[in-house]
Amino acid sequence: MAVSQPSVADTVRRLVAVQLNLNGSGHELRSDEDLWRLGMTSLTCLGLMLSIEDTLQIEFPEEALQDSTFRCINTISAAVNSSLKQVPRIAGEKRLQPRS
Amino acid sequence: MRSTEPEFAAGTGRPTKSNVVIIGNGALGLFLADELIERQVGSVVVVGPSHRDTGASQAAGAMLGCFGETTTESLRTDAARTRFELGVSAHDKWPETLRRLKEFAPSDQPLQTATESHIILNSIGAELDTVNFAAMLDALDQYDKPWKEIAPDDIPGYNPRTESRALRAVHLPTEGAVDARGVLASLERQLRDRGAILLNQTVRKLIGSEEEVTAVELDDGHLIEAGTVVVAAGVHSESLVRTVFDVPELMPIFPGLGFAMIAKRTGGEPFTSVVRTPNRGFACGLHVVPQGGGLEYYGATNRLVQTISSTTWMADVRFLAQYSMQQLDERVASHEIMKWCSGNRPVTLDGFPLVGWMPLAGLYLMTGTYRDGFHCAPLLAEHVANELQGKSGIIDPLFQPMRKPVATRTVEWSIDEYVQHSLAGWFETGAQAAPQMTTSQLGDYYRNMAVRAYEQLGADYALGPDILLYAQGNLNGARRIARYLRTIRGEVAQAARSSTGGAW
Repeated sequence: MAVSQPSVADTVRRLVAVQLNLNGSGHELRSDEDLWRLGMTSLTCLGLMLSIEDTLQIEFPEEALQDSTFRCINTISAAVNSSLKQVPRIAGEKRLQPRS
Repeated sequence: MRSTEPEFAAGTGRPTKSNVVIIGNGALGLFLADELIERQVGSVVVVGPSHRDTGASQAAGAMLGCFGETTTESLRTDAARTRFELGVSAHDKWPETLRRLKEFAPSDQPLQTATESHIILNSIGAELDTVNFAAMLDALDQYDKPWKEIAPDDIPGYNPRTESRALRAVHLPTEGAVDARGVLASLERQLRDRGAILLNQTVRKLIGSEEEVTAVELDDGHLIEAGTVVVAAGVHSESLVRTVFDVPELMPIFPGLGFAMIAKRTGGEPFTSVVRTPNRGFACGLHVVPQGGGLEYYGATNRLVQTISSTTWMADVRFLAQYSMQQLDERVASHEIMKWCSGNRPVTLDGFPLVGWMPLAGLYLMTGTYRDGFHCAPLLAEHVANELQGKSGIIDPLFQPMRKPVATRTVEWSIDEYVQHSLAGWFETGAQAAPQMTTSQLGDYYRNMAVRAYEQLGADYALGPDILLYAQGNLNGARRIARYLRTIRGEVAQAARSSTGGAW
């Protein structure tokens, strides 16, 4: 039986929850919820950015490395999907295909 | 190195072939060209834009001081002491350097604009000033250099606001300053007079193979073949090297954007010496440097940034103007600003220079000098010329460009340093906290920030306070730092446990 891969949004949501300590809080994170208002700081954003790049094996373009990219799950997922269309970060590395 | 005449493209007057091509027309590049011409090693072409807009040299205060720059870190480890002694040795070369340049000076003004310094200890810069001031006195004694404690009121020109007045002051009779822009102009004149070719252009990329570099390509596509290419392009050096040698082990270089201004005194007693605070708050301390002709140089800020530019932040203008008035001379308020100086210091991840042959034949790197480039340039020129000629160098091989980062501190030490610099910045800028909040509590806040930054970066290499601050506020910079440290992680873990420092 084939094991389905998590979507980009699911992966981003999981990593956001870790960085913002939302696991076990009971908070239902909406895809358009402003992470900065939820308490994200420049340092948690830094950790989130690195963990997303490591987990999804992507590289955000320089112009995407700004606060607005990391505003919510939707904006982050959009930036990830855009990056996935670029050349993989590591040569020969298999691309992660986002589900539509 | 075989000596040849340069070859030129027909009708253009531009060289197509040279023994040595130096990329960069700042102090490092020009002093090296001067040294090579003096040794008659062959043809020398220097490439760099004459405006030097983003360069550090054209904006430099050019204090000939190494002891005035002393901090608690300067002599704490073997590696730091090695770098410090570069400055000590360089200092001795300046009298002869200035004598040789005198006839090429662009004006009647002397190139050396001050022959002495006064270091002030005021209470604005917090505890960091105090410990760095003490470290300076200790260093002066260790190296048997002259100094004398004097009353701050006796410093010519020194006239601060009462609340910012100095508590102590020291006179250093052998640490002065030069007119950086005058020295660069003199060097250019001398080089042209002696047959060097100075091209007012920029290099787009290096040309070569996986084994060697054979030429440079200018922005307009013009090629110059070279026996040796020396990259001395300051903060641009890393990206230039990466056009032909793009490896993850190459240490990152960050732009240390600095701002200073040259003002015309309109009244009051002029400064006749360098007057400065100790290094403080992620930067080189507040200073005034006489420029001759009634002009005074006020500097300088230091801000690590992502993008190389010649812009000036309004916050930096405010900072420099306000604190020059408060801490140096309240008459500064009516000075007339004659020139805004903005430049990018080449700041390596470990804070040490990158000087030496690269793995590709024919490619030499000479950068990463941070604040010391101008002062150390004559000494480094002699060293690099030796190496280009196949002779022994005169500086420690510690600064080899493909080294692992030099470790001079533990992570815990790094966090303490960061806290001290942050508190210094807090108090100097007059930030306000709730009355019941103690300095210790403020320190705890910064300490927590630093601890968290290390956790997020996944770093076990101990960063300097300026790099740590930069990593916290810039996602791109943090990513560069994190990736580089992962690349060299194994070696660094060993280095961080050392208390004496060294290259790894």
